Amino acid sequence: MRLSYVATGALMTVRELLRNRVVLIMLFVIPSVFYTLVALTTPDRPIAFKLASVSEDTFVSVSQKSESLVFIGLAAVGFLTSFVAMTLIRRDVDVNRRLVVCGYRPSELVVSKLAVLVGVILVVALFVSTALLVFFRPDHFALTAVGLILVGWVYGAYGLLVGALFRRELEAVLFIALLANIDAGWLQNPIYYADAQNTEIIRALPAYFPSQVSMVAAFSDHPVTIPVLASIGYGLSLLVLALIVHRWRMPAFRG
Amino acid sequence: MNDRALLAINDIAKAFRGTPVLNGVDLELRSGEMLAVVGENGSGKSTLLKIIVGLLEPDAGAFRIQGTMGYCPQESLVFENLTVRENFQFFGKAYGLTDWRERSVRLLERFQFAQYADYLISKVSGGTRQKLNLCLALMHDPDVLILDEPYSGFDWETYLHFWGLTEELLERGRGLLIVSHLIYDHDQFSAVHELVDGVLRCD
Repeated sequence: MRLSYVATGALMTVRELLRNRVVLIMLFVIPSVFYTLVALTTPDRPIAFKLASVSEDTFVSVSQKSESLVFIGLAAVGFLTSFVAMTLIRRDVDVNRRLVVCGYRPSELVVSKLAVLVGVILVVALFVSTALLVFFRPDHFALTAVGLILVGWVYGAYGLLVGALFRRELEAVLFIALLANIDAGWLQNPIYYADAQNTEIIRALPAYFPSQVSMVAAFSDHPVTIPVLASIGYGLSLLVLALIVHRWRMPAFRG
Repeated sequence: MNDRALLAINDIAKAFRGTPVLNGVDLELRSGEMLAVVGENGSGKSTLLKIIVGLLEPDAGAFRIQGTMGYCPQESLVFENLTVRENFQFFGKAYGLTDWRERSVRLLERFQFAQYADYLISKVSGGTRQKLNLCLALMHDPDVLILDEPYSGFDWETYLHFWGLTEELLERGRGLLIVSHLIYDHDQFSAVHELVDGVLRCD
């Protein structure tokens, strides 16, 4: 892999992204709206829930509003990063194929997009983490932020996979909206999980481990090493699949 | 000048879901030649072109290219949210050109769209996009230039520039392959091949 090619690809991707002002604004507006709605509608009364990744009988009792804020922050980062990832890999796909015919390697193009995606994940996750401080201070702020970065990592990789897999945009959008909505936006809420049946299904979904990192770090002193490593592994698995599908869809350079 | 085969295609075959599209296509493009491949819609021209440029793999047959290849697609395949100059930079990188700036300036002046160099593609006319589309195929001075349906995409000004350029390229020993459903100016071509029933017939 030629690093200068990756750098040029990343530079061009950043330029294209920065020129899409509406998307840039939405990256900050959507989490702000989510937080505001939760803050305005959720009661402050204490609520007990299970820290599923610690043990089946480890419960914490915290403000429902604080719990909902962490949950909605995770959902916002998951939604946004998967959509950005899908757009990055799908946009100008035919022009990218032309670039490959002209001499770019598919791996250089995809790594340049991945580098930009990592930047977007960090910016969005750090914004969402910092905005959380407006409402309450998690027990372990840095680790809570790591959970938000990891949900971006896992869902970003999922977005890349969906974007590489589907030729038409509507299918890709539906697949992202469907999973992000039911997983990050519903099933991973610890309040729901506490009474859920077949919890092994919830544990297998992409947002489970990152959600556990943020929830455990925000409301307890338990270690989060295992869910952190599991999140990294989950994201890597999706990423490898995305790279394989993307490579399969790209032409070979003829010289 | 005409003794060097820049592009050689031997017995290329391709089928889609059991339906044969190309049934053993042979073609040789030599230095200083300009060939045309014509055919009805659905005759397999696009499939052949995609195989030549590397967008599709053939089921059978051999393919050989001597030197570099430039490909000008029918549709303007350029980055909408980049400027004209940034598109040159990106494709210049793909070709491995360190002097992409100088080359882009020469092409911008030759095709008379230097005033749009810093405009986003989304803000320029279709004619300017077509000029850029062609220039991106030319900027590395390829040995073989392949054009897909140039007549339908070029405006009159680009069309005239294009013919002026082809004479120069052929004099310098380059090879040109034009794929189109319709060919004008037959006498300008070294040969015109028609794709019928998956094989090429020379007029």
